[in-house]
Amino acid sequence: MAGELLKVDDLKMHFHTRDGVVKAVDGVSYTLNPGETLGVVGESGSGKSVTALTMMRLIPMPPGKIEGGEVLFKGESMLTMKEEQVRDIRGNRIAMIFQDPMTSLNPVYRIGHQIAEPLITHKGMSKKEAHARAVELLEMVGIPNAASRARDYPHQFSGGMRQRAMIAMALSCDPDVLIADEPTTALDVTIQAQILELMQALQKRTGTAIIMITHDLGVVADIANNILVMYAGRAVEYGSTDQVFYEPSHPYTWGLMDSLPTHDLTEKSTLCPIEGQPPSLLNVPSGCPFNPRCPYVKEECRTTVPELRDLGDGHLSACLFAADPDFKRSAADCAGVTR
Amino acid sequence: MSDLLRVESLTKHFAVQQTALGSRLGGHVMAVDDVSFTVKEGETLGLVGESGCGKSTTGRCIIRLTEPTSGSIFYEDRNIRELRGKDLKAFRRQAQFIFQDPYASLNPRMTIGEIVSEPLVIHQEGTRFEQQARAKELLDVVGLNPEHINRYPHEFSGGQRQRIGIARALALNPKLLICDEPVSALDVSIQAQVLNLLGELQHDFGLTYVFIAHDLSVVQHISDRIAVMYLGKLVEISDWKALYAKPHHPYTQSLLSAVPLPDPKQQRARERIILEGDPPSPIDPPSGCRFHTRCPIAKDICSAEEPKLREVAPGHSAACHFAALNPVPIGIARPAEFTPIVG
Repeated sequence: MAGELLKVDDLKMHFHTRDGVVKAVDGVSYTLNPGETLGVVGESGSGKSVTALTMMRLIPMPPGKIEGGEVLFKGESMLTMKEEQVRDIRGNRIAMIFQDPMTSLNPVYRIGHQIAEPLITHKGMSKKEAHARAVELLEMVGIPNAASRARDYPHQFSGGMRQRAMIAMALSCDPDVLIADEPTTALDVTIQAQILELMQALQKRTGTAIIMITHDLGVVADIANNILVMYAGRAVEYGSTDQVFYEPSHPYTWGLMDSLPTHDLTEKSTLCPIEGQPPSLLNVPSGCPFNPRCPYVKEECRTTVPELRDLGDGHLSACLFAADPDFKRSAADCAGVTR
Repeated sequence: MSDLLRVESLTKHFAVQQTALGSRLGGHVMAVDDVSFTVKEGETLGLVGESGCGKSTTGRCIIRLTEPTSGSIFYEDRNIRELRGKDLKAFRRQAQFIFQDPYASLNPRMTIGEIVSEPLVIHQEGTRFEQQARAKELLDVVGLNPEHINRYPHEFSGGQRQRIGIARALALNPKLLICDEPVSALDVSIQAQVLNLLGELQHDFGLTYVFIAHDLSVVQHISDRIAVMYLGKLVEISDWKALYAKPHHPYTQSLLSAVPLPDPKQQRARERIILEGDPPSPIDPPSGCRFHTRCPIAKDICSAEEPKLREVAPGHSAACHFAALNPVPIGIARPAEFTPIVG
């Protein structure tokens, strides 16, 4: 593909709090090409959202502090650029949608007005033009009677419609990248299916690259080309969707897959949960952050911090033993309960 | 196995209050409408549906946390709607509740020892010393360290708090546990731990579960039989295998096909039924079949006549005029023509 659109290299974002340093993001790297979809998965507190917010320069500093790394958007550093330049990119070239559309829409402005706002700011449209475009956009995301619904307030929309309105707003300036932070988590499954289908259809039409942040492996299996798995602020595995699902090469990814109730709805499966709790980010274990919960832990894991290494074909893993052909996921280690 | 619980025509309508601004809304939210099912001793009944379908209200009615509008609930052949005072208290020893939100359902000012032994205090079971010992035992059963008995809820993570809630529910050796979305607030790896714990406890103590959830793969994992609800109505009930392999109701079919499978090849291969629009308001539900406004196969009869829950196979019932006709495997587009069954 024609050059990378977005490149994140060893990004580190730490929060300096009264209790100590919270290493929310501690070494995340990935690249995003035009038109592709990257799924970022991980559990709560793994740093998925903070990575995105850091890129967009939306983290207040202090308490946040970038401790290293680089974010390049079309070859330009997002981290050192002037605030005015960032503002020109944010909402214009890179747009975001969030989990809870009710808290990200302003309750006292009409939907149409809110969608028109970025068009006036970034595209220099007149109010009238912007409003007409807002109605078009609402139609595009499948809101019936768009012209009259544009005059509604957010509370008059259902959850699914609010998320559609958010998508319309995000796509208003025809961005290169759409960052979707758990966009369907608050929605019912039939509505989630509608929104995912809409995002895929719009991506086909506009060629926008999508970063899909989610904890739901089903959602990334559905829409992602590549997947980044995060744990305790670090990237632990990166690869194409098929590589991550069918040849996962990090014990944490194995654990995630085995924790899922089922791949096949007609067969009962065994659950093999990952033992223990995710670590506190105030006090990340030394060596590999996953070592206290890893069933395959060896002595080196407690002392050496594993780097993300290429296993071939662009499949990366941050496990010391990932390249070892004898290092395999073994079903016998599972203490799960078969029902 | 005999029926431990029998719910007959359970109905719960909530009156809608007039608003503060004086506009008169009136009407009723038909949260649960004429729902009947049975739960056998030792089995797990999964109750699924989307938000607002009445699944939680049904669960709360069963142990009378919410008073039903009409209908009967029989527990061991006694109608619990008629229980008062001592009898009701005795029933509540047998039936306990696990709540969804492990942050809101534990009193932050009580130690976990006090929380877990509170049912014993209320039901005057044992001396304080014995209650304390029992609390320690319960913490051990749910996989927490009994030494932590004097800690407060905020010192625990979400998954650990859910274990505390489970320990509290087990304190009086109940037979029936109503679990209202017990794992939906938890991360996948922790969710699997709690699901396994619930499975082990059922095995060890012979518990009966009514498991309420919106996540179909979780429900599939834990349930023996599954009931699907839509807008206050029970639309399909069956043993889990038949429900997933041969769903009869178009709502069940679209619900199943909407679940994104964590398997990219399967996910790409299947065709999905995407439902149009949002679920209607339960204040003024559609006439006839409540699903007809979103149903891909709706015909005239669907808006005119309400379909009864009927048996389509042994132990498998569905409330659809077209239910008995040739169930379609998940995710395959349905054939165009259907004729209704008359009668």
